Amino acid sequence: MTTTSVIQWGLWVLLLWPQHLAGSTPLDCRDDQGNLSRCTSISQEKLLDRVIHHAELIYRVSEELSSLFEELFIPFPFRLQSNQAAYSCITKALPIPSSKSEVQQISDKWLLHSVLMLVQSWTEPLIYLQMTMERYDHAPDMLLNKTKWVSEKLSSLEQGVVVLIKKMLDEDTLATGYSEQGVVQNEVQPEVLESVLRDYTQLSCFKKDAHKMETFLKLLKCRQTDKYNCA
Amino acid sequence: MKKVGEVVLLWLLILFIQNAAGEGYSPPGKPTNISCRSPEKETFTCWWKPGSDGGLPTTYALYYRKEGSQRVFECPDYKTAGKNSCFFSKNVTFVWVNYNITVVATNSRGRAFSDPVDIDVVYIVKPNPPEEVVVNVTEDKDWPFLQVSWKPPKMADTRSGWITLFYEVRLKLENKNKWEEVSAGQRKTLQIYSLRSGGTYEVQVRCKPDHGFWSEWSPSSRVKVPEYFPQERSMWILIVVFAAFILVIFIWMVYMNFHSVKRYLLPPVPGPKIKGIDKQLLKSGKSEDIFSSLVVSDFPPTTSNYEDFLVQYLEVYVPEERELIMDEGKDLQDDSFKTENSTCDNDSGRGSCDSHTLLTDKGGGDKEDGQQSDQEGSQAEADTKSQEEALEEELLACSHENLQSSNISNEKEKVKSWPSLFSPLPQYSLSPVNRPNPPKTGQQHCLSDSLFTPNSMPSYFTQPGPSTRKGFRSNYWECSFDHKQSHPLHPQSAAHEHLQAQNDLNTAHVDYMGAPLDVHVLNVRPSEYVEVQRVSVEDGVLLHPISPSQEDSRTLSHQTEDYSRVRMVNNDNGLLLLQRDAIEEEKSMCPYQEDVVSRASITPTLQNSVTGINTALPILDEMAASGYIDTATMFGLPTH
Repeated sequence: MTTTSVIQWGLWVLLLWPQHLAGSTPLDCRDDQGNLSRCTSISQEKLLDRVIHHAELIYRVSEELSSLFEELFIPFPFRLQSNQAAYSCITKALPIPSSKSEVQQISDKWLLHSVLMLVQSWTEPLIYLQMTMERYDHAPDMLLNKTKWVSEKLSSLEQGVVVLIKKMLDEDTLATGYSEQGVVQNEVQPEVLESVLRDYTQLSCFKKDAHKMETFLKLLKCRQTDKYNCA
Repeated sequence: MKKVGEVVLLWLLILFIQNAAGEGYSPPGKPTNISCRSPEKETFTCWWKPGSDGGLPTTYALYYRKEGSQRVFECPDYKTAGKNSCFFSKNVTFVWVNYNITVVATNSRGRAFSDPVDIDVVYIVKPNPPEEVVVNVTEDKDWPFLQVSWKPPKMADTRSGWITLFYEVRLKLENKNKWEEVSAGQRKTLQIYSLRSGGTYEVQVRCKPDHGFWSEWSPSSRVKVPEYFPQERSMWILIVVFAAFILVIFIWMVYMNFHSVKRYLLPPVPGPKIKGIDKQLLKSGKSEDIFSSLVVSDFPPTTSNYEDFLVQYLEVYVPEERELIMDEGKDLQDDSFKTENSTCDNDSGRGSCDSHTLLTDKGGGDKEDGQQSDQEGSQAEADTKSQEEALEEELLACSHENLQSSNISNEKEKVKSWPSLFSPLPQYSLSPVNRPNPPKTGQQHCLSDSLFTPNSMPSYFTQPGPSTRKGFRSNYWECSFDHKQSHPLHPQSAAHEHLQAQNDLNTAHVDYMGAPLDVHVLNVRPSEYVEVQRVSVEDGVLLHPISPSQEDSRTLSHQTEDYSRVRMVNNDNGLLLLQRDAIEEEKSMCPYQEDVVSRASITPTLQNSVTGINTALPILDEMAASGYIDTATMFGLPTH
């Protein structure tokens, strides 16, 4: 087996050898000016821009999602203020800088890792949230679509951050695949106020964390260009 | 063992590939033209063009490798996008990394590898065309316009901002071939104005992401524009009203200035210039009487006639002359006054003025000229012609002055004229000659100055002699010759030269005044010559009997003014007559100014001072009878 597999592997290598010899010709690879340029890999700058763009979108949609949910399901007395939801967020235990001063002191490496941690920690809850929302009786399609969209984009963001870490820090980090088993299924009946409130809290927390992600990434970008003048 | 066999087989295959031995069947050709497109930046599809299949069934496989990783994957979906394509779903599409794609063609003979291609999903986005393109014709007060609206393609997620699309609309008339493209930015509506009325338009829309390719054009939407052109009609109405308004204003203006316009367009017909034609006769219609006066028995005039004229003139010059002149003037008075009363301009075109003045001046002018010529001939022979030039500049007004020891140039002329006039009349020459007015070239001379002495005439003669010798002679000759062609008083050659000019001079002199007028005329008229002095001399001469000094000065001054314009001399007649009035005016105008004593002012004077003319007129008549219509002949008249 080993010899044959080695031979097969060798064959594949041989087959693919001309490919390496010939080199790769870029196709449809353009920089921002529209000039055809040889792009074997995406530049770090572009990558960071795309990641930031991603994070911005996620934050915006999460904001819409949260306000929509609040309008639909949450009675007035229970509506949270902006500074109240932090206590019950699931990510409060993460070693993430929470104040501005801390953020300024943290290094680039830790910034990136913080972002990655945030993203990875929200992957599963969002899927769960998506599932619970589908069980709501009066949830409009728009709500469901937005939730689905956010979860998808979040996973994509995770991959982007991984690539970015690899590029910037030369570290190999594997994207943690979410495990189905990690999802905690609540037995609580849907539309009971408590569960609804819990979902509402989740969305609010996610909105805050999305904003954090965006802020960290933008700070990182600022540090790339002007290290000493970033807030 | 089997495995070893397999391995051997594989090696053989490899050898075959590398040796590429042909046995009728051949390995497949290399796939080419790999192109990938993503409609919404979340999935993408790649197509390739297969090469020759070598006569054997060939299979194609697409392998890709992510940037930074050596792991090779195969295309997950060959079917969704059709033949020779590979569809990458959302799960396998990443915007973070480049893809390195290779297509392999395989048949029983061998394999063929295409050139690898690098793909960045963001830059290969080609969206679907916009959907639901709606075109409406919106009426807006007879100015219809198109309202185009559309929706982004369904797949593109513009709502969240994942993709930003830019739109472009194009339209054309149905039967034309040229599309007109309009950019709409990120909007989803567009208004199109300036449509052709009654035309049918086709509208299409396409979109493009910020980095990527233009989509295909959406299917045409047709719309017909209703017909409209009331706006043009109203514009025409406005134009017509405005034009009518302007026309009304124009007509009103013409009506207000009707007479001046009429005069401008249809100038008054000058009266008959022919001496002897009586207006009354014309009106009566008796042709015999009319033409009888035209018949000149002794034409061409002979020297003897001139002599007679001269003699006659001399007589007139003496206070008796005045009477004669006045008597003669009576006959011609009507004509002269009538014409003079009419609006006389300096322009030669106004013959009416000239004719009458001619008539009146001729009688005196000839006499004067003759006299002058006689005198001048004796005295001013030394005059040179150069003075003429200066005199020309000097003009009229200063003729008097010259005579009175003022400007030479004018005086010269006048003096010249004087000699011509006074040559036959030595008596006349005495007084004017006595007046020595050293001619001064380049100075204005007022006739008034020179005319102060009653005997200005003779003084004129004399003065021109010494002062204006140069010019005088020429002028003198001119004057004399003009008036009397056969006049023997001017033997000098200079006269010949000035003949032509003299004619003018003569006329000028004549016109200017009777005796003095003639002088003026001579001086003035011959603007070509600097004979202004002559005229002035004449003026002086003429005026002596009456109130010469002032008159002469007046006339002279007037002449000096008129020097530039000989025609003005005509008015001298009037000036002379008035004398005082005219002279004063002229005096004021002397200083080389172009002040022109209005003929209007002069003409009234003419009326008042008929006497002078009267005396001059008979002379003129005689002159006219001789056939001369030269103004020079008129010189004799204005002496008074």
